[in-house]
Amino acid sequence: MILSDLLDTPVTDADGTRVGYVIDVRFVLDGPPDGLLAAPRLHGLLVSPRTGTSFLGYERSGVRSPAFLARWFAWRHRGTFLVHWTDVASVADGRVDLAADHRRWSPTLTGSTTER
Amino acid sequence: MKRLLGVALGVLTAIGGFLDIGDLVTNAVVGSRFGLSLAWVVVVGVVGICLFAQMSGRVAAVSGRATFEIIRERLGPRAAGANLAASFLINVLTLTAEVGGIALALQLASSVEPRLWVPVAALAVWFVLWRVKFSIMENVTGLVGLTLVVFAVALFKLGPDWGDLAQQAMTLAPTSTETWPTYWYYAIALFGAAMTPYEVFFFSSGAVEEKWTAKDVGQSRLNVLIGFPFGGVLSIAIAACAAVVFLPQAIEVDSLSQIVLPVALAGGKLALAVVIVGIVAATFGAALETSLSSGYTLAQFLGWSWGKFRRPTQAARFHLTMIVALLIGVAILMTSVDPVKVTEFSVVFSAIALPLTYLPILVVANDPEYMGKHVNGRATNALAMVYLVIILVASLAAIPLMIATGAGS
Repeated sequence: MILSDLLDTPVTDADGTRVGYVIDVRFVLDGPPDGLLAAPRLHGLLVSPRTGTSFLGYERSGVRSPAFLARWFAWRHRGTFLVHWTDVASVADGRVDLAADHRRWSPTLTGSTTER
Repeated sequence: MKRLLGVALGVLTAIGGFLDIGDLVTNAVVGSRFGLSLAWVVVVGVVGICLFAQMSGRVAAVSGRATFEIIRERLGPRAAGANLAASFLINVLTLTAEVGGIALALQLASSVEPRLWVPVAALAVWFVLWRVKFSIMENVTGLVGLTLVVFAVALFKLGPDWGDLAQQAMTLAPTSTETWPTYWYYAIALFGAAMTPYEVFFFSSGAVEEKWTAKDVGQSRLNVLIGFPFGGVLSIAIAACAAVVFLPQAIEVDSLSQIVLPVALAGGKLALAVVIVGIVAATFGAALETSLSSGYTLAQFLGWSWGKFRRPTQAARFHLTMIVALLIGVAILMTSVDPVKVTEFSVVFSAIALPLTYLPILVVANDPEYMGKHVNGRATNALAMVYLVIILVASLAAIPLMIATGAGS
């Protein structure tokens, strides 16, 4: 699978209801980024209910400026959530199906940004 | 003392490097048709490029990331891909105009047909890209480009009616022979000439090339905030020269020989020689910058190793991209297309593509994850939002105006 198979893809839950579109994917590194065994692992998908366009990274942290842009993107992507890759039941025919018991996580990255 | 010299050098190269074929042509054309009634656009454009270059330079210095790496990271692959296609095309168009500008300037000096000069000019550009150190390349073309100050000197020697020029600058309306749509079309062209996207690719990637850190933010701000406004003053001087010589005769400037004519009238052969040297330096410098920008954008998007601080063998695809871009430019010029026309289109398309690069930079300049304590302040953001609106309006209005006015004719 390549990234283009996922981006912009409609996402449906177990009942077949459309819950949004994949706007980004999130990876984790289990070790330091150098060396052969540090391949990133797919952690989850970011799903935006209304649009497949980019969130420009505003989902990652609590950045609130420039106020107008931050508000616009937050409004356009309201309800964006993260689902873990383990909660994805299947990816086929340009569609992502979520498992019945999937859980919606906050898209914010924890422990990042402003603390530094 | 060394630091002071460094600042002076930075400011001087910023002045000399500000002007390129786009500024020369657009300002002279506008001066000959509208007098100084569009001089306010140069002011708006210069404030805009100061803001934009300062932001992208700061982002590059603090985060170590150049503009297109950020675009790729923030816009996602699809939108960033479309952005790359548009930016790369316009960049090649600008490169074509600059190489054409070198050839036209050399024609003025030698009376040899410009198409014979085009391959020579392109070869010289490539050689410098291949062999010459980044800082030397940047400083030499910038300093020699300073000879374009001769436009300001010529304006004084022409002894214009200053009251009349001031009157024109205060009248924000087209002259009696021109229409409002053409007025706004050329306003966008002037704006695009002052705020060309390649300047920002080059400025931010140059910051990485010269290994700037957060400590250099102050110096880069000085270079931009002093150098670019002086460049803007020279732009207005070019327009004023054309306004003094051509506007009363109702002659429309459409060639490089006309652009330099006011200088020749005012200062004779010596001034003419100086201005030709200046134009060759300015267009040559800009040809280097646009070639590099084509390599920067593509390599940064695709994650190739890039930069002149690496040997060509270590950044082979980066160098290959620049060679291909130069060859495309030469091929376009060999069709006998008029470089002045290419320039006029390139500045308008620059204005069209501007939001694509401006928005990601503005967003990242606000992200503390990249910028730490160097995020935009409130005042910068307020100004940046005003400019976002201006840039969007100019971008959206450009194509309808281009069609309505027959590209300003």
